[in-house]
Amino acid sequence: MDEVTGWLLDVYADQEGGVTLWLLADNDRRLRLRMDFSATFYAAGEFSLLRQAWLYIKDKGVKLERVTRRDLFLGERDVLAVTTTNPAQLPKLFADLSRQFPSLDYYDADIPLSLRFIALIDTHLLGRCRVQLNGEWVQSIEPLSTPWEIDPLPLPLRILHISPDVDPAFREPTKLHIKHGRGEYSLSLTPVRPLLIGLKADIKRIDPDLILTDYGDTWMFPQIEKWSQESGIDFNPNRDENKAVLTRRAGSYFAYGQVIHRGAQAHLFGRWHIDKQNAMSFGEYGLEGAMEQARVTGLGVQEMARKSPGAGITAMQMLTALRNGIMVPMQKTQAEGTKTLKELISADRGGLIYQPLIGVHQAVAQIDFSSMYPAIMVKHNISPETVGKENAPEGLIPKTLRPLVEKRLMLKNILSDLNPRDCRVSTLKARASALKWLLVVCFGYLGYKNARFGKIESHEAVTATSRELMLQAKEVAEAMGFKVLHMYIDCLFVQQDEFERSSHFTPLMDAIEQKTGIPIALEGVFKWVVFPSSRRDKRVPIPNQYFGAFQDGTLKYRGIELRRRDTTTWVRKVQLAALQILAQADTMDELSGSVTDVLTLAEHVKCNLRKGDVPLEELVVRQKLSRELDAYKSPSPAARAALQLRAFGKEVAAGQSIRFMYTRGGPGVHAWELEDKLDARRLDTKRYCTLLDRAIQTVLAPCQSQLSANRLM
Amino acid sequence: MGKTALTITQQLNETEAMLAPFRRTLRRSDQYVFDGLLAAARRHIAAIGEVESLLPFQIALLAMLLEQAKEIAVLQQKLDEMKKRNG
Repeated sequence: MDEVTGWLLDVYADQEGGVTLWLLADNDRRLRLRMDFSATFYAAGEFSLLRQAWLYIKDKGVKLERVTRRDLFLGERDVLAVTTTNPAQLPKLFADLSRQFPSLDYYDADIPLSLRFIALIDTHLLGRCRVQLNGEWVQSIEPLSTPWEIDPLPLPLRILHISPDVDPAFREPTKLHIKHGRGEYSLSLTPVRPLLIGLKADIKRIDPDLILTDYGDTWMFPQIEKWSQESGIDFNPNRDENKAVLTRRAGSYFAYGQVIHRGAQAHLFGRWHIDKQNAMSFGEYGLEGAMEQARVTGLGVQEMARKSPGAGITAMQMLTALRNGIMVPMQKTQAEGTKTLKELISADRGGLIYQPLIGVHQAVAQIDFSSMYPAIMVKHNISPETVGKENAPEGLIPKTLRPLVEKRLMLKNILSDLNPRDCRVSTLKARASALKWLLVVCFGYLGYKNARFGKIESHEAVTATSRELMLQAKEVAEAMGFKVLHMYIDCLFVQQDEFERSSHFTPLMDAIEQKTGIPIALEGVFKWVVFPSSRRDKRVPIPNQYFGAFQDGTLKYRGIELRRRDTTTWVRKVQLAALQILAQADTMDELSGSVTDVLTLAEHVKCNLRKGDVPLEELVVRQKLSRELDAYKSPSPAARAALQLRAFGKEVAAGQSIRFMYTRGGPGVHAWELEDKLDARRLDTKRYCTLLDRAIQTVLAPCQSQLSANRLM
Repeated sequence: MGKTALTITQQLNETEAMLAPFRRTLRRSDQYVFDGLLAAARRHIAAIGEVESLLPFQIALLAMLLEQAKEIAVLQQKLDEMKKRNG
């Protein structure tokens, strides 16, 4: 018997039974291993029906048992357990049985195989493990790490980058750029034969663990498969040669108030493929973040890079359920309880959003509750099955979240102690951000209509507790002589005369933490911060907009043009430059001088625009199509640009981003991806100047009115 | 995750829309003052929400009064200071 140690790269069902594992062994070898593994799903319901189901399925190569298992809400249930030693067959078995007996309740039928494996073996994806082998067959696995380690041993991944020279959605690519380590070269897309032979040889020679592409999902892999069929040259990018590329279709869906387009997907076996352009949060936390999420959720890296954090948190809940002998229902079973109108008004509310005091404020501390909602769920044991119950044992949700909250807090603490130039900072930040997103969505999923372990009352219990804690924090601050300028969900802006240093606010934070029991951190002390007023009525504050400069000159801004995705690079750059000028000011008098400098800057850049000195790329507006093109009654600028693309045979779907520029006359826009380049003289400079003026006004108006007020005093 | 009950901001918006004919009939100078009253209420949306009233506009009226009382207090203070300065 052999013994190998290494990292667990991937696990999936083997068509011939059991599972296939891929191990990145310490001797730099990539091992394809096999292991006996069975999977079980359960059916519950009327006994006579279960009996019929038993008779129906008993000859399909499964093991059947009558067992008692726990439903999170209904308690112990007598169920029919259907076990197969070939997990690849489980979806088919379940589909067959549920079609015949649709009125039975089914559990554990759609749990991803990686989760079943992790729950049983107690290891984790990307985790270190020691494996005893007999040939390619795994006899036993000993985990050598946990997903909660703060500093896991990095995986020595081989990464192959492949990207076409242009966005294939809008133009025909002519070559592929290939990058591996320090080597970089291009392959021409025509003729196809040498391309396929070259690419195949490269993949074989480099044997990458990860193929990181641009448009690999939506264009490259489907295109290569087509070329491979046409030319008769066999091309399989999988490391597992027994498998074909797994493709999933594209689609648009509605989530968080907007239409989101997800392109087709191409998943590989034995190695990973991530398409940066189709990976949901790759821009936010990159490969390190996706790997961190895979580590803690149990879903593969390829899945986590493409799916929303909601899928990750659902997987973690499933894992907790599996480990605690709780069955995972196929559908959400908990509907909202009946409420009187008074009860509904009282319960159906979000977090506390104060109205800030409009204007410029000096020496203001921003203090944030750390992971407030998850921390509330953990501390107050809020879970769908515990809500409204006194002294309930720790619920499924708090049990799932506790290690996640603790790990993120530890990563944040390490980050706050590190020098910003330390080489570990970017990796740690990416990992902390990946965990943050899991925590952010875990609250929403308590109330999400399709969440298996969701119940709206538990969602409401979290917001109710948060509002109470915020009011407690306000009372503590006011009792200590602070003025509360603003409160927003989980953060407070406070001020007190002659309090300027971070240490001045420590007693306040200690007092709030003691009162509420939730950790609180100082985001920073602003030398000045601005809460702007509404454009419509200067007397009305805007709760979700502010900008300011911390004492070290670092800027923080929320809700203004700079943060909006549809703002052009040009406007964004100028607004940032304006803020940077203002950030140099320490006093109100210095701000006065800065206002003139900002106005001079704005005039200067507008002059450059009129002279044609601004690169066209910086004037590109990016907007999403909120519906299918034919559904527009009066097309938005983005829809008009999409119509231009359609005229040239480029189809776009709802949820896709369209890039365009504003032009004079005609349809008023010019789609960026059109073959014929825009004549710069056609640019609607007036419109761009208006956009810039708005952005400049956003940052200057509060300063100007404050200055006039000061002069009047 | 969608909410069933309207938020206080939405309810105030609805009331404002309902009062649009009233506002329209006012003189322009009065319209500005009227808008100020609604703006005063909007400064206390969080507090209005905490009351959990079936008729939040009643509480909004209280918020308007609160802002007026504040303004009177500030003016009173300024008046006192002016009186003190002028002996």
